[in-house]
Amino acid sequence: MSGKLNRRSFMKMMGWGGVGTALVGCDMPSTVTLEEGVEDVVSYLSPEEYVIPGVGVWYASTCTQCAAGCGIHGRVREGRVLKLEGNPESPVNKGKLCLMGQAGVQGHYNPDRITTPLLRSGGSLSPVSWEKAEQVLAEKLGGVKGDRFAWFTGSMSGHQLSLLSSHLDAMGSNKHFVHEVVNNTVAQSVYADMFGDATPRLRIDKAKMVLSFGADFMGASESPLLYSGDYARFRTGKTRGLLVQVEAKMSLTGGSADLWMPVKPGTEGVLALGVANLLLNKLKMSDAGIPSDVREMINTYDVTSVARITGVAGHRIQRVAALLQERSPSLVLAGATVEGHTHGYASTAAVMMLNHILGNVGKTIEPGAKLPFPQLAAKRGGTADLATFAEAAKGQQLDVVIFHGSNPVYTAPASLGLDDGLANIDFKVAIAQFPDETAMAADLVLPAASYLEDWGTQVPTFLGDSAAIQLQQPLMEKLYADTRGFGDIVLGLLKQLKAADFDKFEDYYGYLRNAFASLPASVKAGASSDDAFWNGALQAGVVMLPADLVTLKSTVIAFADPRGGDDAASGLTLIPSPRMGLWDGRHANLPWLQEAPDQISKVVWDSWAEIHPETAKENGISQGDLISVSSAHGEIRTRAVLLKSMHRDAVAVPLGQGHEAYGRYAKGIGINPLKIIDPAQDAKTGELAMYATRVSIKRVAGSEQFGLVKAGGSDTQAGRKLVVTVPAEQLQRTEGT
Amino acid sequence: MSLDNILNNWSDYRKAAEDGGFYDSEGNHPYEHRWTMSINLDLCNGCNACSTACYAENNLAFVGKERFEKGHAMNWMRIERYWDDQEKDYPEKGASFLPMMCQQCGSATCEPVCPVAATYHTPDGLNAQVYNRCIGSRYCSNNCPYRVRYFNFYSYYDDAWPEPMQQQLNPDISVRDKGVMEKCTFCVQRIRSAKEKAKMEDRAVRDGEAMPACAQSCPTSAIVFGDTLDENSAISKLWKKHQVKRNVAHQDKENPEMRGYRIFEELNVDPSVMYLERVREDV
Amino acid sequence: MAVNKQIPAHNRRGRKGLAWVLGLAVCLVVIAPAAMAAKYDVVAPGGSHDGEDVEQPIEFPHNIHVKDNDINCMYCHTYARRSKVAGIPPTSKCMGCHKMVATDKPRIKKLTEYWENKESPPWKKVTDLPDFVHFTHEVHLKTLLFDREFPVENAKEICALCHGEVENMTVAKKVKPLNMGWCVNCHIENQELGAPGDCWKCHK
Repeated sequence: MSGKLNRRSFMKMMGWGGVGTALVGCDMPSTVTLEEGVEDVVSYLSPEEYVIPGVGVWYASTCTQCAAGCGIHGRVREGRVLKLEGNPESPVNKGKLCLMGQAGVQGHYNPDRITTPLLRSGGSLSPVSWEKAEQVLAEKLGGVKGDRFAWFTGSMSGHQLSLLSSHLDAMGSNKHFVHEVVNNTVAQSVYADMFGDATPRLRIDKAKMVLSFGADFMGASESPLLYSGDYARFRTGKTRGLLVQVEAKMSLTGGSADLWMPVKPGTEGVLALGVANLLLNKLKMSDAGIPSDVREMINTYDVTSVARITGVAGHRIQRVAALLQERSPSLVLAGATVEGHTHGYASTAAVMMLNHILGNVGKTIEPGAKLPFPQLAAKRGGTADLATFAEAAKGQQLDVVIFHGSNPVYTAPASLGLDDGLANIDFKVAIAQFPDETAMAADLVLPAASYLEDWGTQVPTFLGDSAAIQLQQPLMEKLYADTRGFGDIVLGLLKQLKAADFDKFEDYYGYLRNAFASLPASVKAGASSDDAFWNGALQAGVVMLPADLVTLKSTVIAFADPRGGDDAASGLTLIPSPRMGLWDGRHANLPWLQEAPDQISKVVWDSWAEIHPETAKENGISQGDLISVSSAHGEIRTRAVLLKSMHRDAVAVPLGQGHEAYGRYAKGIGINPLKIIDPAQDAKTGELAMYATRVSIKRVAGSEQFGLVKAGGSDTQAGRKLVVTVPAEQLQRTEGT
Repeated sequence: MSLDNILNNWSDYRKAAEDGGFYDSEGNHPYEHRWTMSINLDLCNGCNACSTACYAENNLAFVGKERFEKGHAMNWMRIERYWDDQEKDYPEKGASFLPMMCQQCGSATCEPVCPVAATYHTPDGLNAQVYNRCIGSRYCSNNCPYRVRYFNFYSYYDDAWPEPMQQQLNPDISVRDKGVMEKCTFCVQRIRSAKEKAKMEDRAVRDGEAMPACAQSCPTSAIVFGDTLDENSAISKLWKKHQVKRNVAHQDKENPEMRGYRIFEELNVDPSVMYLERVREDV
Repeated sequence: MAVNKQIPAHNRRGRKGLAWVLGLAVCLVVIAPAAMAAKYDVVAPGGSHDGEDVEQPIEFPHNIHVKDNDINCMYCHTYARRSKVAGIPPTSKCMGCHKMVATDKPRIKKLTEYWENKESPPWKKVTDLPDFVHFTHEVHLKTLLFDREFPVENAKEICALCHGEVENMTVAKKVKPLNMGWCVNCHIENQELGAPGDCWKCHK
């Protein structure tokens, strides 16, 4: 068959017409003498007819850099994947690809990958063979009973999830902890309670106005590219949509707002009630369907008191309310800064109630497409599972845990005591691509193939018109022979437990082929055979499926006072802000993303603390000063960036840095704000109140090491005609219809 | 064009531009294509996808914190972020994002100062940079009003592409070594391959066939790219719609409210990138 | 199991005209047209290069293939007309004939050994260009051979412009300078086919 060896050797030799190297330069003579008969050129043994040296071939697959499930095309030449682009056929990203997706190749070719199984012996991890690793693992798994075994993963979907569920069943356990720092779990809970669908399709493109309470929908959100495409249509429709963003720290999305307003952290729900008060009492919109105690609560929040509590000027609140009534349909969104409080559910519910009052449900909030196969639907993680896991570990309820696609040792706040908990777990296994903190704390590390070398399916969650299964296929051969695909590893575990059911699959590829062959005929309509269906699916990278749509309801359920009782407390609130780029820290080992400046502060390769200049002044802090940020649970030190795009009562420290492991590009850079988070939880959902930690800041004696590095020079245009801004009326006159 | 442009034609070109255009009396002009770009600043949200796509496509070295601080970053496509000057208290209209890369000027100031003709104007309307010719005088960079030329102060090959990262390198474009100036090329390797494909099929290059990495990745489709000599191309229609003319230092629009403008065109450099003004609604 | 078996022969992008390629193959083997006069004469530029004698894993006799058996260059170097690079033929190509032909010869035995071990012979590069040069066989063949209606059976004369008389070599040797001046001279002397001018045509 086709030449495994030859494809690899070919790429090692860089082929003909191959890779430019350091040969080029001014010191080269204009006539370059190339040595003949020195370099090897290895031909293919027996290539596919479409593989032509020097010609790139594009293959479809799926990105796994975040949980959105965007389709990708990978350009493959001489057996190497060179460049990733968006797959135009994917309903999620429609041909576009964000910076994290672009940097996927740097994870795949990362010099710090784990290439062999590692087993802890005498305190340190040392390489062992797969045979040894499998033998130890089988022994440990054989000795564990039922719920004392657990999986700990990031968001998962598709056939990997279904295989993992089979493994849990076979182990007799129901413990699958799913953890993501960047999540919208609380909002999903509110969506389910109020609209009858936890994952509705939010149609930004159909709204005439979007009022966003801290929802960074184009940045660190559940599907940034889906919403970016929506946003483009929102801005270029018949009438340009109006975006009003209210948040304590300007997010990427906030940077594009027509009106950006800072709000005192944690009071977003109160602001929403203030808007509701105006809509109902002043603008006489209907209060049908609002429970009486909520209606009474709304009445207590008049503009004056809301302005005092939230710090948003009264005339602004009145204007926003009037605009919402005028620009129908609108869409009101809530983001992580609203959700992440002890009263997070109540705040989010207060915000979502506006959609009910404004009649947006069914217009800009549509039912989300549900996959007809619930076992493949995504399990999206949050932080409640992290807290539960820490408790279970501390309570000595777990003997063996397998970690995959999540790095809890890095993301867990110190106050959860996870380090102590882990010590109680007899045997910790990490299926990992990189030596991250969790892998380094494990007893056994199994080297994972990269997503560009592995098979899989991903099911995107937030789609509208139709559901989809995104296919993931290897774009090239494995760089390291000893790495294994996640599906293959789990299948191997299952074969030991349920040989009768799983021995028929040679590998995970065989499992997937079988799964696709057994899809119902309606899905395969149009394909002449199972093979043709499979090949068509691989070619497109996505299988579109008729969606099960629920009928949305528009209700308001009773919720607690979103004031939460702590707004009067003094002090600053810590915002551990995620961003598209380093995300929750998982991309800190990709140098392109380290070097991509933060969209708002423009800082590269570092952590920083963003504070309002007035707040800085009160605390005697100047631009670039080294400051300490202390909570009840610890202290971090980083440099101050003074920006007016902050509320005066907030300190934002970006997520992603402060790794103690994770390879040469991540280790030792910056600090990790998650470590000093209070362990408080949202009363209703159990999610960690990530955005509620009170901190104090003070200047500390500066060290001599050089400070923050920022891209670009001036913050202002200094009178130059660089970015010209015109009013929307002008756009309406010239390009409006 | 080409080298002649440096040695003989540059001043003629400049003069022609001042006289109202580069067409001669018979309507001829020296271009085979005229690749241009339009960036809608009302759609740009500053997300950096274009910039990272550029790193991936063009073998751009990452330089690390210390060298970044010295201004050695190789971000051919960079996003600048400005705050509105007028705002006294807080940036209530959000931020202003500006994707900035080589503007492929029609009468580029970088070209005549190159002592070795390493940078010149191509028949496609691009400012070429020929790495082999470059001796690293950096005159071009100093003469560029947009600050979009990047100099290799070091040899980055080993640091930026440690084994096995070098396998990601795009074979269609050189890795530049120490002492060489580099800059955005409008992804000339993609243009070249589109042209060769068209040639193999005995046809003209189709609109959309040549697409730089930044335009392809842009999540909000803010970037449009194409050949303005092709009257039916999307980009030609945009330039026409916004009434922005080439080869002039000041636009004289029939409807001055149309949003298209070129940055620093008053310097008479004839940039090939048209920006569409950012829009904000007064609330 | 080799992975690329499982990637179907489909979503090829950046390349079209497979039918054209196949059609051409037929044309080459069966119905090569009678010799016609080329539209332009191509003048090879002067200059030569005294290449090294390269030691190859198998001393491949170009002369036997090209001169004695009259096999077209593009029969083996099949990528030349559809890619930048002419490429080394895949080992399967060699075995296509040598499963049957001359199987008793020592060199063929050595080849068969590589084949049976699922390895390709570790060929050494002879003709190469610096990595900063963009050169495309595909377009040169189109311009010099197909568009000029040059008799395809005489393709070796076109190849010889840059590669010399390979039909008289055993192991191929570099005999032309293949440097910038040489390339540019050829383009100057054959302006009608492709004038030199833009540095970015070749410098990448």
